[in-house]
Amino acid sequence: MINLKSGITPTWCPGCNNFLLFAGIQQAIDQLGIAKENVVLVFDIGCIGNMADFFNTYSVHSLHGRCIPTALGVKLANPKLTVIAIGGDGGVYGEGMGHLIAAARADAPITVVVSDNHLYSLTTGQTSPTTPKGSKTKSTPLGSISVPINPVSLLHTINPDVMVDSIDGRDPQLITAKLVEALKHPGFSLLDLQQICVTFGKELSA
Amino acid sequence: MSQDVFTVKIAGPAGSGIKSSGLLLSHILVAHGFNIRDYSEYPSLIRGGHNTYQVSFSANELFAPHYDIDVFFSLLPQHWSQHTSEFNQSTLVFGDDAPVVLPLKDLAQQIGGHLYVNTLCLGVIAYIFSLNQDTCHQIITQTFGSDTPNLKAFDLGFDYASKNYAQSKITLIFPQKITNDKIYEGNEAYSWGFIAGGGNFYAAYPMTPSSGAMHFLAGVQEKYKITFIHPEDEIAAASLCAGAVFAGARAATGTSGGGFALMCETVSLCGAANLGVVFYLVSRPGPATGLPTWTSQGDLLFAVNSGHGEFNKIVIAPGDQAESFEFGAESLNLAAKFNIPVIVLSDKFVAESSASLSDLSTKKADIIISQQPLPGTPGQEYLANSYEHDAAGYAVEDIDTINKNAAVRQQQRQQIIKSLPSPKLLNNNSSNLIMSWGSTKSTILETLKLLENKYDYLQLTTLWPIDAEIKTILSKYQKIFVIENNATAQLVTLLKSQFDFNPVKIILKSDGRPFFPEELVKELKQYD
Ligand SMILES: Cc1ncc(C[n+]2csc(CCOP(=O)(O)OP(=O)(O)O)c2C)c(N)n1
Ligand code: SF4
Ligand SMILES: [Mg+2]
Repeated sequence: MINLKSGITPTWCPGCNNFLLFAGIQQAIDQLGIAKENVVLVFDIGCIGNMADFFNTYSVHSLHGRCIPTALGVKLANPKLTVIAIGGDGGVYGEGMGHLIAAARADAPITVVVSDNHLYSLTTGQTSPTTPKGSKTKSTPLGSISVPINPVSLLHTINPDVMVDSIDGRDPQLITAKLVEALKHPGFSLLDLQQICVTFGKELSA
Repeated sequence: MSQDVFTVKIAGPAGSGIKSSGLLLSHILVAHGFNIRDYSEYPSLIRGGHNTYQVSFSANELFAPHYDIDVFFSLLPQHWSQHTSEFNQSTLVFGDDAPVVLPLKDLAQQIGGHLYVNTLCLGVIAYIFSLNQDTCHQIITQTFGSDTPNLKAFDLGFDYASKNYAQSKITLIFPQKITNDKIYEGNEAYSWGFIAGGGNFYAAYPMTPSSGAMHFLAGVQEKYKITFIHPEDEIAAASLCAGAVFAGARAATGTSGGGFALMCETVSLCGAANLGVVFYLVSRPGPATGLPTWTSQGDLLFAVNSGHGEFNKIVIAPGDQAESFEFGAESLNLAAKFNIPVIVLSDKFVAESSASLSDLSTKKADIIISQQPLPGTPGQEYLANSYEHDAAGYAVEDIDTINKNAAVRQQQRQQIIKSLPSPKLLNNNSSNLIMSWGSTKSTILETLKLLENKYDYLQLTTLWPIDAEIKTILSKYQKIFVIENNATAQLVTLLKSQFDFNPVKIILKSDGRPFFPEELVKELKQYD
């Protein structure tokens, strides 16, 4: 199998769902037979963004919320590259929401992978755009007042041509299969991985 | 001395074609071989208000538009009285209600409405200055086509003037040959520099006075194979450029102060992750939305200090349209050479004013290519990282690497200083020095012409990092005068932070208007 690892030991909590995604990305690239040098991974900031260090590929560890426009810049400058933007629910649906909508409208030819753990985890557990209403988090000790967004219906409303799916982020086979599908899709694709943050996510409302 | 520079000004409400007829006049003058420098004022609205266009022209060298007007047109009543300070006894002020009555309202009926009175005024100008009618017809036809009502409007103006203003004719010395046969706004000149410098990626969000570059480059994207994008906001524009540079593009974004504020985190990213993005920052007066369509040098310290944290960046400032071309190309080379953010700091006065220059579309520039590994190349994979990182790009937090990185940046700064555009000294053997940066250059050079070159002049083209060698130049002068188009003397503050610096006089202006040569002559005469 293709080796995309840097050899740096992942710093996620034991049992963190990001381990499954880390393996899934490598398997999907392997299955598609894409040469290592033609893959560019663009990471957001967060627990998920820390994956940047564990890969040895052409990668950018960009800014919080900015993985999508940065990835699109890479793709537009060299359309031969396979470009994947990888971020969390905070970065992609919060800080970077405007970029997500614009990329979907334009059917931008990149794949976005979202570690949707319903929290800002790297910053130790505040509410995010997908946190269930009423959840008590560090920034909403009285319960969050906002309804969560649904990325699938949101993006389909914006542009029915984009490929968007939300799947169980704890199912390794499904992750790889859906990633392969998304990477094959010629236009914009977004794969939302429903995850549970084992450290900060236990108390979220159902 | 016979008069060598003449200035025509046209005023009226927005939407009455002030700028287009002004540019038409400039093209006519350039076709006669004159050098031109223009300047326009307009409020941030689409209809109504008060717009002006003025053009100074000369058969000899000309650096900047003048304040004093020789011929003025008020396209509608009451658009002349607020300009009386620009008039002298011989100024011809034309208009329905002006000192020299030109019945535009009545004449308009003969040419299908008020829409064409601007071109009618060009006919009057052509008569007054004895311009070549064929040349005028040619330029009008080139612009509007051969069946345009503008031709009739021009002829009516010319006819009316020959019947009524025979005693007002102004005698010009016509140039022997045409040297500068093209007209460029600073934004266009910058864009041609971008193209000459191998620029192939431009992402920008509209913001006056930088949008001219975006419009121009969007228009020529296919011809010059430029990937052009107008994204959702300025943060996206800057991020797109960062990604594009990672993939090997020569990329720039353009904006003004407010948009640049939004880009600042990306400026910092480019410093951390070594991404050579060019930021074309065209200033207007702030704070906040400020005065959108006016000029200012109020963002110097903002540009120098842009982006959080301590990292290397370059700030260079073109002083005129020709340098806008030069720095459009040079900025891409500096970005490729050092892989850090490069800010080209211009302002409305340069970016939206035109100058007659030789053809820029065929001008070549040397191109320096970045040595960063390119995605697609096997075996050189690396991480461009916004975190503090080691040589391979991986995030680190150990004291040794952090200190080593700081030392490397410090060393790089010394290398950068040696590669940057040098200050330009105009040596007139004076013991007094005028010093400035950016757009004041053109007005200062024109002022020195009027003052028979009584001063030396130093233009700082690089504003960051500052080369301490400047001190050696300054030490030769008895008196130093600094001229800045801002309220707080930001260049002085910047230089004081680097070395002892005590100019005898700081001349400032921050009302949204540029300096004019006549104004600086008066200021400087006090120190004779
Ligand atoms: C501009 C900016 N604002 C805030 C932060 C702090 N910050 C770092 S990660 C993060 C949230 C991350 O949440 P998410 O994207 O869901 O990723 P996760 O940690 O949950 O994987 C925030 C707010 C930052 N780095 N940059
Ligand atoms: S805090 Fe949550 S998201 Fe972050 S590494 Fe631990 S389990 Fe994973
Ligand atoms: Mg999250």
